[in-house]
Amino acid sequence: MRPTRRAVLGGALAALALPRAAVAASLEKVKTNGVLRVAVYRDFAPWSWRDAAGKLRGIDVELGEAIAQRIGVRAETVDFMADESVEDDLRNMVWRGPLIGGQVADVMLHVPVDPRFARANDRVAIGGAYYREGFQMACGPNTDCEVPPPQFKGKRLAAELDSIPDFYLSGGFGGVLRGDVAHLLSGAAAIDEVASGKADVVLATRAQVEHARTRLGDRLKVRRGPLPALPSPGWDVGVAVRDDSRDLGDAIDGMMGELRRDGMLAAIFGRYGVTPTPPLAT
Amino acid sequence: MTKLSRTAVLLAGVAVVTGSPLAAKDAAGEKENQAAAVAAAAAGPSDIDLMNDERSTSDVLTYGMGPRAQRFSPLQTINAANVARMVPAYSASLGGEKQRGQEAQPIVYDGMIYVTGSYSRLFAFDAKTGEEVWQYDARLPDGIMPCCDVVNRGAAIYGDKIIFGTLDAHLVALNRKTGKVVWNKKLADYSAGYSFTAAPLIVNGKVLYGNSGGEFGVVGKVEARDVNTGELVWSRPTIEGHMGMLNGRESTMTGKLNASWQGDQWKNGGGATWLGGTYDPDTKLAYFGTGNPAPWNSHLRPGNNLYTSSTIALDPDTGEVKWHYQTTPHDGWDFDGVNEFIPFDHNGRKLGAKADRNGFFFVLDRTNGKFVSATPFVSKVTWAKGFDKAGKPIYVPENRPGAPTAEKGQSVFSAPSFLGGKNWMPMAYSQQTGMFYVPSNEWGMDIWNEPIAYKKGAAYLGAGFTIKPLYDDHIGVLRAIDPATGKIAWEYKNKAPLWGGVLTTAGNLVFTGTPEGFLKAFDAKTGQELWKFNTGSGVVGSPVTWEQDGEQYVAVMSGWGGAVPLWGGEVAKAVQNINQGGALWVFKLPRS
Repeated sequence: MRPTRRAVLGGALAALALPRAAVAASLEKVKTNGVLRVAVYRDFAPWSWRDAAGKLRGIDVELGEAIAQRIGVRAETVDFMADESVEDDLRNMVWRGPLIGGQVADVMLHVPVDPRFARANDRVAIGGAYYREGFQMACGPNTDCEVPPPQFKGKRLAAELDSIPDFYLSGGFGGVLRGDVAHLLSGAAAIDEVASGKADVVLATRAQVEHARTRLGDRLKVRRGPLPALPSPGWDVGVAVRDDSRDLGDAIDGMMGELRRDGMLAAIFGRYGVTPTPPLAT
Repeated sequence: MTKLSRTAVLLAGVAVVTGSPLAAKDAAGEKENQAAAVAAAAAGPSDIDLMNDERSTSDVLTYGMGPRAQRFSPLQTINAANVARMVPAYSASLGGEKQRGQEAQPIVYDGMIYVTGSYSRLFAFDAKTGEEVWQYDARLPDGIMPCCDVVNRGAAIYGDKIIFGTLDAHLVALNRKTGKVVWNKKLADYSAGYSFTAAPLIVNGKVLYGNSGGEFGVVGKVEARDVNTGELVWSRPTIEGHMGMLNGRESTMTGKLNASWQGDQWKNGGGATWLGGTYDPDTKLAYFGTGNPAPWNSHLRPGNNLYTSSTIALDPDTGEVKWHYQTTPHDGWDFDGVNEFIPFDHNGRKLGAKADRNGFFFVLDRTNGKFVSATPFVSKVTWAKGFDKAGKPIYVPENRPGAPTAEKGQSVFSAPSFLGGKNWMPMAYSQQTGMFYVPSNEWGMDIWNEPIAYKKGAAYLGAGFTIKPLYDDHIGVLRAIDPATGKIAWEYKNKAPLWGGVLTTAGNLVFTGTPEGFLKAFDAKTGQELWKFNTGSGVVGSPVTWEQDGEQYVAVMSGWGGAVPLWGGEVAKAVQNINQGGALWVFKLPRS
């Protein structure tokens, strides 16, 4: 219940929190200010994370910079802590602002592009799809990654806590694998378990697996066969702006097409080893 | 035991555990300790004073008006016969733009009233005039995400210090006369989602507190710090398999590894202790309630998932678990078990009571946690038919929310809702009537699987729900419950949900506040409403009473907020016209 509990909170707050609503800039205002404020998730490799020197890196970080550049302004990127659901993140980072300190961004990256989700979040405009995400299984060198999942019984499995991979491995197949699943706080940490030999099998997002392979190569084998009854066909990833900044959203939507056509998207994704799978929506 | 020798023993105890060879053995050192003890006592409330708070009528030193938190005062100056004449003595604003939920209980000592306010503020007001003496504003970092409003439930006082927790999970001790920081300790990492909203509990020179926030991957724990230095003394995780800590070393494991959890699920098992605890000087046990298990979907974690949704009894000096009782084994409804456990005696039996989120009023033997009774205190409970003689719930399996799937699942109606038959707001026990006064709410929830939800930019399987009031004309009900029979003696119905604490007095009175803004007084025996006053904003704090210059005073915080206004749907209709505020209100009888 917890995850969606706050989603409802967000909806109710919409009606109550008007005095706190910060003002987001539309396209003209962004140009006048000379700055595009971009919100990206914290600790979210390969999309956005801080390297050892504390510098923000990742596909979303570079994509935000590319968008700002096309608008003709400088990007100011904020990495924020994920709340309990993306609805909450939109409230905190796009249309209302955090409860304590900080301000809203002009655009938030890595927002699911899904008509149902968009209808439920009418304080923001969602668009500019730039990627199709999904889940990918991978294994260490000594594990046959292609067997039907129940045959992983006795192997050491790793997944992000409370994620679809966790529910799939812990809850699927009558729960036979439940006792074998190690729960980590991120998909990247789950992959590290395999990399360090502490786990044999990991289920994480495709981008996380591909990015890890730039470092691990064949020490991380990708499963080629399908995952039976995996409860997610994948989803499109795009951007969100405030509902009164639709002109900015439309401009970014147009830019995504250009960035794809001129190879900029492929170049950015390529630097992180991730295939720039186009969204279904395009 | 006298004040002096008790404190001296305490100091000696500290000297032993910190390994100082001089102070413990040396006679001169002993004398110095005694001198220090006298000085400390002179500086303000001592351990003895805190333990005696229930009987001392000229002050309010503890959250709960006594360590047992019965919220009962022996005062009778204001009583059922004259309360109708009660009038405001003064009101003091918390000012600023930070007018959100005011859930605090005032502390009254030495001519001052201390209250905590929203956004981690602490105020000292002159108890005679209501003038502000000093104010402390915690400097909060950006990006804190408290789950359910920016509230605080109160402070603790000891010696020259007043102590409270902040939204960025710090514990701060201030000089009670000046408001200057004495020590400031980080309890947990706010950037991992941890927060702090409860009132601390002080026992034997240690500050005991729970943890809150950090829903994702959290493990509940209770900790104790030295009240004078803020240094950690012990830490006790609430989930089986985790190791406790005492004086910087590993102590004992909580429960038994994998006894009630599969695989590594215990590592992120939940069980946060965010509402704090109570203490019984008689059995020398501290009682803390624990939150629901994680992940929320019960089908993924077979087993009892100990010690989630439980009450645990702890040794306040070492943090050892002496007993536990689980109010919702294998919770599947988000029924936190954090509610206060209030010790009381009945026919020579040492008992304790807890009104749980799950709709049952529990009575346990407080010496060993043995089950005595569980009776519903709300009109509708769907998840269980009742409890058997062994204290285990008789589940209604079809009313357990289903396992998440990619399909939209069947909707299950469940009562109470996860906001509980009773939420955080503390009940009271009258030593005069022998009854508990329980602020309850009548609401249920529809729950269904939500196949497509998103979290940190990724798809996940969630659950959708709608909270529904059970009746058209009221949600809140204040009930008088006889703990011996579980029978309800009287009830008062309120349109909006009740969200404030209760106070009862030997003047045959029960006080509680309403979101509509009223502080109300009831006849403790009959439930007849005798007095009300509109404070101008919703009352979600806990009232207190004390005696000052020969007159009895009643004080309560006013300021609408907390979790209720965050809810939409039918609940919102009951509270939509309530405005925000932030003030301390103090009442007394007019001088005749």
